[in-house]
Amino acid sequence: MKRRINPDKCVACSTCVVQCPVAEVTSKFLGPRMLGPASERFRMLNAGEDDSLSYCANCKNCDISCPQGVEVSNINMLARAEYCRENRPSFRDWILAHGELEAKLVSYFPSFLVNFGMANPISKQILDMVGVSKKADLPKFASKQFPAMFKEYKQPENLTKRVVFYPGCFIKAYAPQTGMDLVWLLNKAGYKVEYPEVFCCCGTPLYTNGFEADARKNAVKNLEELAAWRKAGIPVLSLCPSCQLMFKSEIPAFFPDLAENMESTALDDAMEFILGCINRGELDISEADTSPLDIIYHAPCHLRAQGIGFPGLDILRLLPGVHAVNADAGCCGISGSYGFKKEKYDIGMAIGSKLFDTIKDSGIRQVATECGTCKVQIIHGTGNPCDHPLTILRRRLDKKTTK
Amino acid sequence: MKHTTVVIIGGGATGIGILRDLSMRGVKAVLLEQGGIASGASSRFHGLLHSGGRYAVKDNEAARECIEENMILRRIGRECVEESEGFFVLSQQDDPAYEKPWVEACAKAGIKTEPVDVKEALRLEPNLDPGIKAVYRVPDSSVDGFRLVWHNAMSARRYGGEMLTHHEVFAIDQEGGKVKGVRARNLVTGEEVCISCDVVVNAAGSWAAKVVELVGLEVGVQPDRGTLVAFNHRFTSRVINRLHMSSDGDIFVPHGSITILGTTSFHADRPDAHEAPTEDVLKLLDIGEVLIPNLRSYRILRAFAGTRPLYVAKGSAAGRAASRGFHISDHSEEGLDGMFSIFGGKFTTYRLMAEKLCDLVCEKLGVHAECRTAVEPLIADPSPAMMEKAAKYFPVHSVPLVANRLGDAFPIVVEKAAAMKSNPLLCECEMVTRAEIEYVASDPSSHSMTDVRLRTRLGMGTCQGTYCSLRTIGALTECRVPFPLSPADNLRDFLQERWKGLRPALWGLQAREMELGRAVYAATLNIDGARDEQKN
Repeated sequence: MKRRINPDKCVACSTCVVQCPVAEVTSKFLGPRMLGPASERFRMLNAGEDDSLSYCANCKNCDISCPQGVEVSNINMLARAEYCRENRPSFRDWILAHGELEAKLVSYFPSFLVNFGMANPISKQILDMVGVSKKADLPKFASKQFPAMFKEYKQPENLTKRVVFYPGCFIKAYAPQTGMDLVWLLNKAGYKVEYPEVFCCCGTPLYTNGFEADARKNAVKNLEELAAWRKAGIPVLSLCPSCQLMFKSEIPAFFPDLAENMESTALDDAMEFILGCINRGELDISEADTSPLDIIYHAPCHLRAQGIGFPGLDILRLLPGVHAVNADAGCCGISGSYGFKKEKYDIGMAIGSKLFDTIKDSGIRQVATECGTCKVQIIHGTGNPCDHPLTILRRRLDKKTTK
Repeated sequence: MKHTTVVIIGGGATGIGILRDLSMRGVKAVLLEQGGIASGASSRFHGLLHSGGRYAVKDNEAARECIEENMILRRIGRECVEESEGFFVLSQQDDPAYEKPWVEACAKAGIKTEPVDVKEALRLEPNLDPGIKAVYRVPDSSVDGFRLVWHNAMSARRYGGEMLTHHEVFAIDQEGGKVKGVRARNLVTGEEVCISCDVVVNAAGSWAAKVVELVGLEVGVQPDRGTLVAFNHRFTSRVINRLHMSSDGDIFVPHGSITILGTTSFHADRPDAHEAPTEDVLKLLDIGEVLIPNLRSYRILRAFAGTRPLYVAKGSAAGRAASRGFHISDHSEEGLDGMFSIFGGKFTTYRLMAEKLCDLVCEKLGVHAECRTAVEPLIADPSPAMMEKAAKYFPVHSVPLVANRLGDAFPIVVEKAAAMKSNPLLCECEMVTRAEIEYVASDPSSHSMTDVRLRTRLGMGTCQGTYCSLRTIGALTECRVPFPLSPADNLRDFLQERWKGLRPALWGLQAREMELGRAVYAATLNIDGARDEQKN
């Protein structure tokens, strides 16, 4: 089914072009307005597709900046999906899109072997040949992935309130400890955490890499599970801004028929939830470590696109002794798997350079951000430590409560 | 004094069609046009290539001509015709009793009709009203009128045909009851030209009566104003007609990147009654909503109007009831030998009209060459190698559009783009690059940015000139294209012409666009002030 977004709202003001991080650093991308609403008028007459479309990173800065409310990036993603129906995406894109499946496969092997297998010069050369830049630092698989870690973890008895956790692929395979930090904090706030294994990849990497059918399958599964928890009145929390955005606004845009019967397809933001716990007095932070700590915070594009403010930064600022500044330096350049691609690595690094410089110039070591791949890119670009705000929160609380 | 065999007055579809036909038959001819090519009704209609279905019941002969010419134009003018199709839709408001006689009349005229299941029709055209009662498929199509005329002109040029645009005829000389020549004024330079000839053909459309007035004669041409509305995007994939006796506002024609809704029919008191009143726009929307219920949610780009040169025999009906057939007058019957007038008809049948007229002219001249306009394509298809080369210098999805627009000039523009350091898009809404604009602007027939617009679609998309006009005038000034007007005046005229079409439908999303354009040019760039400053 062809789905079209009415391009009429665009007044061609080009605000999105000015705000587009990709268009700023490369002429290979014709720009969001041109490939979005302008080209959409020609797609309606089947005029074909310019290769430049693959340079859209789906970072959503066009949507954020548009004064007329045009869904520029969704126009681009729908067009890419349509293009990929006729033109199969590359093997490289298949690999980058299907991280969940790969994570599942490698979970049967010891992680040091897998990571050595991926990070050694020969494998890097092979990946480079299929189109994954050898200059990129791919995230490393955790020695134990989230499902296994969660299974082994004993939550305190007698917790009466319940929440569900939707970890998303990054936390599942690469950063399970961040997920466990959330579980620990929620337990402390009096919530028992459920983790239904039926939840699968939100579909963002699948859809943006051109695997629409796979993304749809996942959406069907995820929405069914989400609806069941909704019905039971139990919130479903996510830590990943990109997963949240997929559920909240991309699933309804890409698969409107699936979203039709649901009042909302959105997950709850775990950061907002924790902030609420603090504000309601459920999570006591008065005992937190008060030693001075400077933090520079990076707001992921997909968090900014949701228009819910920066609850992660708000939490950090509530902590005694913590001085947190907002880097406010735009996109980091990674956009999921975009910056790992050979032809896009330099573009990603050029986009991120403003953020890297801001971090370096601030003189602050500790960086905080919610997004897993932003974190990978920030560490790659600056060498600074970068953590999820909740990890920092736990560190500040755990010292006093558990020691 | 210039000499030729035939002088043709009028550079619309008919006149240029005649120029091509005569040139192909080896008859020397010069065409004079007071404005730019196709500046009258040939570019001011809905762009429907009629199947004839619209006329089948009322004028079966005209319907038969339409379907025959429709099939010919698909063949010879592939670059100008979108090979779509048409639906005739019986809406909830239409009389079902019209259906049967219509189907029979179409069969009689040779128009293939095929009933389409309403559910299937709604799947193909989801924006149609779900309450429609019946749908038929017909071989309607859309045609770019302006481009078709230009491609005819290119073909004519190849055979030696000559055109002088912006030349207004002010006298037709005669001697002993026979035409001797034509005198015209170059409206750009003010120079006068005299052309001696044996035959004068008046193909001035709505201006035909004014032309014969020069020799003290009369013709039954009544200009009839038709208003049309252009929308920002295609919301149908095929031509949509109402299945009823043809009336106002009952045709939607998807056209390149836009959709056109037409048309009204009002008596016009002059041939250049090109103002589109707001009442007409509102009326069209009211009627159009019957087929497309969401019509008012779509953005209107602009409204425009043209005048049909209707043929009205003395004492017969005018307006929509008038004949859509064409008529040729040999004025030797009125005592002026060598002068012919052709008027009435429809864009779809322009080629046939030209053929019939040229047959008469050739008979008079004793030329026996056969008409070949129906067999030879207007322009040669671009080679696959050239298309591939173009993809390196133009956005890939714009290449077929650019090739179709440019016709013969496509390879030249591709080579030009290849030689340039870069070939940026100056008009993003309609995907026009600098190489194309520079080339067209340098053509001798281009005198202004508006002439460039007509051939390239510069400024005809979403922003209606807000972004591309400044970029274009900058580029043209930089490469020193000699236009009679100063850059500031050129820009002002261009924008005013764009804004003229915006005013009658100035609400909703387009009002926002207009405000942006006004802020950029009137406020920030003080476009009117710049002109006044130069005058002082």
